[in-house]
Amino acid sequence: MNAAAFRDVAGMALRNLGRHRVKTVITTAAVAISAALYIFMDGWILGMNLESRRNIAAYEMGAAKIQTKAYFDKKDELPMYENFPGWETLARDLAKAGFDSAPRFTFTGTLYSRAGTAPLVFNAVDPESERRLLRYVPYVESGRFPRDGALELAVGSLAAEKLRVGIPDRPTRSEYEAEILGAAATEEDRAFVRSLYGPPRTSKEPRKPFSVPDKAAPAFEEEKLALKEGVSGEERERLWRILAASGRMDVRISTVIDVKAAPDSIRKNKFEQELLPSLDAGAQALVRSAYEPDPATGDYYLASADDALTSRVLETMVAADYPGAIRHINQLIDAVVVGVVNSPNPKTNGSVGYIPLSALQDEAGLMLGGAVTEILIRKAGADDAEIPGSAESPAAIRAALDRVLAADGRTFPDNLDVRGWKDYSADYLAASAGDEVSTRVMILFLFVLSFIGISNTMLMAILERTKETGMLRALGMTDGQVLLAYTLEAGLIGAIGSAIGILLGCLINIPMVAYGIDYSAAAREMGGDFGYRIVALFRSAWNPPVIAATGVVATVLSAVAAIPPTLRALRMPVTESLRFE
Amino acid sequence: MTVVETSDLTKDYALNGITVNALRGVSLSFQAGEFAAVAGPSGSGKSTFLHLVGCLDVPTAGSIAVGGIDVAALSRKELALLRRRSIGFIFQAYNLIPVLTSLENVSLPLVLLGHGKAEAREMAERALAEVGLGDMTGRRPKEMSGGQQQRVAIARALVKKPALILADEPTANLDSKTGREVLEIMLGLNRSEGTTFIFSTHDRMVMDFARRLVELRDGRIESETLR
Ligand SMILES: Nc1ncnc2c1ncn2[C@@H]1O[C@H](COP(=O)(O)OP(=O)(O)OP(=O)(O)O)[C@@H](O)[C@H]1O
Ligand SMILES: [Mg+2]
Repeated sequence: MNAAAFRDVAGMALRNLGRHRVKTVITTAAVAISAALYIFMDGWILGMNLESRRNIAAYEMGAAKIQTKAYFDKKDELPMYENFPGWETLARDLAKAGFDSAPRFTFTGTLYSRAGTAPLVFNAVDPESERRLLRYVPYVESGRFPRDGALELAVGSLAAEKLRVGIPDRPTRSEYEAEILGAAATEEDRAFVRSLYGPPRTSKEPRKPFSVPDKAAPAFEEEKLALKEGVSGEERERLWRILAASGRMDVRISTVIDVKAAPDSIRKNKFEQELLPSLDAGAQALVRSAYEPDPATGDYYLASADDALTSRVLETMVAADYPGAIRHINQLIDAVVVGVVNSPNPKTNGSVGYIPLSALQDEAGLMLGGAVTEILIRKAGADDAEIPGSAESPAAIRAALDRVLAADGRTFPDNLDVRGWKDYSADYLAASAGDEVSTRVMILFLFVLSFIGISNTMLMAILERTKETGMLRALGMTDGQVLLAYTLEAGLIGAIGSAIGILLGCLINIPMVAYGIDYSAAAREMGGDFGYRIVALFRSAWNPPVIAATGVVATVLSAVAAIPPTLRALRMPVTESLRFE
Repeated sequence: MTVVETSDLTKDYALNGITVNALRGVSLSFQAGEFAAVAGPSGSGKSTFLHLVGCLDVPTAGSIAVGGIDVAALSRKELALLRRRSIGFIFQAYNLIPVLTSLENVSLPLVLLGHGKAEAREMAERALAEVGLGDMTGRRPKEMSGGQQQRVAIARALVKKPALILADEPTANLDSKTGREVLEIMLGLNRSEGTTFIFSTHDRMVMDFARRLVELRDGRIESETLR
């Protein structure tokens, strides 16, 4: 068809829209709403994801970790016995390769405070490296970060609340009287404490825009007090000292040190019915070569004095998950809480404790002897706002590290592995993927609805124009031209609708990107942790390709909606169309 | 030159299980420049005949040749192109496109034929002037009387100067004075351009205009008169 004919067909399509004004408006609105919602939801999810990804790297783990391969395979159990020595050397090599690193020894235990207990995951860290690599360190909301070499602990704000350590924001009246006011020894201190706490803010106070309302407070809740707003850093520090002097910050870590050790003796039935069946023939022979049965009892004893053989036997047992190969040593460590962490990443604020690695090296600690369970890695001078890219991929880190090692004629230890942040963020990735699916389904549903709307509009419009279609064909319009005219008409509905929708979606997105939604109350209800690494404030992000694609898809879908009724009209003989009333 | 030739043209309609024989073997030929009327009582097959000749439907049996071409051999697209180039239609119910102005209605066939916008506009204006509607170019169909609409339909049929114009009861919806005017225009065109006209009617006055009269009854030719 020539350009002029196309223009005329298009003009006719445009004017036909005006004929079914109400339907056109309703259909256009449906398309617009679908498109706007899609843009809004997509921006929302992208915003959460970008922020989460940034926060995982910036607050949680950098771009990648070095761990032993065995640790990675069992990482959900936090197997502290799968540790490795020599992190200082690796850290130096990584620095030469252009990466910052932070060593960690992660273990689990129970923390006892004067007022409570809580199971915690402890990260034994090197405060200096930790501060350089991760951003949660400055988010010690009160107190300070532990000092190197001291048995000091920083805990997540959630754990602090549970254990009643740190400075409480909203103590109950009795807690306040007994633990806070009661901690002040002098009249002067008591006056000082009184000056810091007041009645809680009333809910009559105007709320922040977009904030999610608190659930209605239970009727018989004990009266609460609140730390006044605008308490200075110095005042906090003084309050902390007063509370610490009362013993509020003294804690005890109860943990079990798991170490790998070949057992000196193994009971006959355990050896024969548990250990041997879990091994293959070669491994069985290896174990038998190290253990000998006692002629009297039949129990097996470690007979080999060969250390190399013993350690190979031990590795075999650990690889087969033989529980007898892990020795458990109970350990109690007294420490003092010196800070409470509350960063924008909920993972750092939960049931977590941070303790200097250097304080746990000997008998009084965990007898680490320089071992760590992981080394966190981030590119030196990496931008916090940046999500780790290909330059920080495990492969890139490994390649850079190998170059440095090769220059000295060394190689990367065979039992270690570099893994990226995604390998450790299954919970986030699952939450994100799940949301993505449910959003997609919802959107699909919306699009199906507006598609049905457009189909219906076009069906009616084309049916109503059966006679006219017959005339157009009598005038010599080909089937293709009729199809073009009607798909163009429907496409126009889609184009106008999606243009309005895009405008609408972007208008909603502007405040969502600039200010976001404050849902701290809702987040608190959920315990502050729901997979995404964001706290209390959620912001959308712009996603131009998706915005553009939304317009295109909505337009094309609308156009497609005209095809079936048009084909139906074209199947009729022209005479029948002309007779149609 | 023979413009239309039908031989043994038959059309059956299936209607609720019974077969209606609308045409039962009509063999006719029309020469270039004819001004012919097909007459007959209601239901005799006039419309069916014109529609078949205009390639708007396919016959059950028999053949049709338009301009010497057997239309049975043509594809849907070729039939559309044949209608576009060579055949103009005028219907009892006018069948103008309601969203287009009379000027646009008349230029539509030209645009489909690929004429430029300005040229099409000029030709359409001239055609509207010829049917006496030079001052109604901007009106939509619903803003005009029946007679005016039918004149727009005539302008639309003649504007591309087709070899053949088929008119199915063009005056049935008009009063006799307006009907006469419409026929005068058609006849004038037949004289000046040599356009072949075949129109159906059951109006005596209209038959009197025709130079050849074919009368149908029950789908058969009852009589043929030349005047
Ligand atoms: N689509 C159709 N389905 C069934 N029967 C039809 C169809 N079209 C026409 N007929 C029948 O075929 C016969 C011829 O109809 P046609 O419309 O050609 O008559 P006509 O001479 O034009 O009549 P009128 O003067 O009333 O317009 C009639 O009996 C009519 O009922
Ligand atoms: Mg008829």
